[in-house]
Amino acid sequence: MSILQVDTILTLVLLSVLFSFGSSRLPRLISVVGFQGIVVSLVPLFVGHDMTAGGIVFTLATLAIRGIIIPMSIYKAINRVNIKREVEPIVGYHASIICGLLLIVAATWISRQLNIPAIKDYTLLFPTAMALLVTGMFLLMARRNAIAMVLGYIMMENGIYLLGTTISVRARHIVEFGILLDILAGVMIMAVILQNIKQTFDDVDTAHLRSLKE
Amino acid sequence: MVELIFLTPLVAGILAFFLPKSLGRWLLVGTGALHLILSLFLWNNRPEAVFNRYFSVTPEGLLSLLVISFLFFLISIYAVSYLKERELQAENVFTGFMLLFLSTMSMVTVSDHIMVFWIAIEATTLASAPLIYTHRSSASLEATWKYVLICSVGIAMALLGSVLITLSMDIGNVNAVLSFSAITGVAGKLDPFWLKAGFIFILVGYGTKMGLAPMHTWLPDAHSEAPGPASALFSGVLLNCAYLGIFKTNKIMHAAGLGDFSGIILMVFGLMSILAAATFIIRQNEYKRMLAYSSIENMGIIAFGTGIGGIGVYGAVICMIHHSLIKSSLFLSAGNILLGYGNRLIKNTGGLITLMPKTFLAFFAGFAGISGFPPFGIFIGELFIILGAFRGKHYAMAGIFILSLCVIFAGFANQVMKISFDHSKATIRLKEKPGLVWPQYVLLLTSLALCISIPDTVHQTIIDAISAIGGGF
Repeated sequence: MSILQVDTILTLVLLSVLFSFGSSRLPRLISVVGFQGIVVSLVPLFVGHDMTAGGIVFTLATLAIRGIIIPMSIYKAINRVNIKREVEPIVGYHASIICGLLLIVAATWISRQLNIPAIKDYTLLFPTAMALLVTGMFLLMARRNAIAMVLGYIMMENGIYLLGTTISVRARHIVEFGILLDILAGVMIMAVILQNIKQTFDDVDTAHLRSLKE
Repeated sequence: MVELIFLTPLVAGILAFFLPKSLGRWLLVGTGALHLILSLFLWNNRPEAVFNRYFSVTPEGLLSLLVISFLFFLISIYAVSYLKERELQAENVFTGFMLLFLSTMSMVTVSDHIMVFWIAIEATTLASAPLIYTHRSSASLEATWKYVLICSVGIAMALLGSVLITLSMDIGNVNAVLSFSAITGVAGKLDPFWLKAGFIFILVGYGTKMGLAPMHTWLPDAHSEAPGPASALFSGVLLNCAYLGIFKTNKIMHAAGLGDFSGIILMVFGLMSILAAATFIIRQNEYKRMLAYSSIENMGIIAFGTGIGGIGVYGAVICMIHHSLIKSSLFLSAGNILLGYGNRLIKNTGGLITLMPKTFLAFFAGFAGISGFPPFGIFIGELFIILGAFRGKHYAMAGIFILSLCVIFAGFANQVMKISFDHSKATIRLKEKPGLVWPQYVLLLTSLALCISIPDTVHQTIIDAISAIGGGF
């Protein structure tokens, strides 16, 4: 039963990847990534390791932070400073979606070749984690808008979280803690920098950030 | 007890945010001195940590720690004079983050637990990012943004690598604490496939922070935009901290009998960095960026030497120590040049020998040292690495290595000659006070002294550190 649940949840994650590749406007992209954060945080509850009460609380806290607090604060930030809403793609939306599909297929194929005992019952787990990792990086490189880049980074971290919390029992809480810290601190500092980019350049298009070369 | 080494600067750093300027400066120097005393104490007594699951004193950590401490103390003395010359908008923030930066880097050197180590490296990024943005210009903002984004992605890769290492423990049915020393002890039972994968991700992750090509793109910007004392810290010790992570993981690889695999990868990344530095250093028109590329070159040399093994590893550690000493002195001198000429471009400088003779002495001696002239340690280190490469029959790689060093020397020398001897009409706005030149002299003299005779305890610690990764004579 739980295997079915996990795979259903993971299908939602994969769909959110494709949605994020097709999103042209920032508020939409933020909500897609927020949704993805919630769904990804739910997975450890269903993957068969024993859950202590503390573990459940921790998972819920993670869910609140990555699913609600971070997306909300980014959303507020773009509203307050009145940033351009387009994500300014370097690679177009349709091309992005096709790339996303290809990456997911490739991730599935590669994970078929590997054999990880802890998660071999969950067919979609490893492919999804790997797909998140690669597609997050793709988003990071294929969008010019600084906030879209931060969202790509969060997607990457989602992938690592999924992998870290499920493939190894021992690493689990440490990974959760680590990623939480990373996301919180990293994203907060990025947000502060964004504020400053906005003030300095009057926009958050990273094309302005091209004066330092070589 | 061991934990004091990073708790002291942490407390001092938090205090510095609230203290008035003049007190903050003395706090910087005072903490630097106290930290040096604590490091020497650790070096002599090698005590057990209170939280010994997470922290421990290792020979490679001690070497880095002593370098950090010594450098920070001298840089803090320089910083006091520097801050008198250059008014900063928010000096408290600068001194506070300098101290927090010291705290996080010290934490890196004593961390033994894989995740604590990772958290400490992450913390160095966060503590150092505001230092790059000290001048509040659009260029420094860009450099900070690049630094945080690229290093965060790198750190995420390193986290993935650490997770894969725990996976290799699970598959191998190993039950041990998740610390570098414990895993090295049971390395033979780890699953080799996932251990290799973990090593690659850790190398790419911490390599980003260390400045290995092609992940080095943040480094020249960050080093050139940060104010002098901060860039000296960046280049002198931050890069070593990241190297420590690769070093420790490499230890696990060697204990698992995968030393050849990790060696080849390290050599390739090392050579790529040296080549990248060679291509960019020749046509560089800013002196601080030129120094930054030279740091990339030296990190490449260190990675290359570590990959070769044997005598090459000894050479790599020698290079690491001397690079820290010499390069930080160069960045401090570059800080003086920037204060004096008020310009970053090489073409707007010139005549350093007559206009700023004391800085010239430090800058030129530093140049001689970093490009491997005999009286300085880099020469010996590079010689050992080349010897090691020939012993290991890596003739082609040794050839590329020597050739790139020559190209870098030519490019570097050309620019330094321009800065030092070209005719210049610039008016110098800086009086060369003792505090602005003596730290550099002390750094260079230390490098010289270490080269003439290396104390037995240091030699023994280096041997202890490198014997686990196939290093030694």
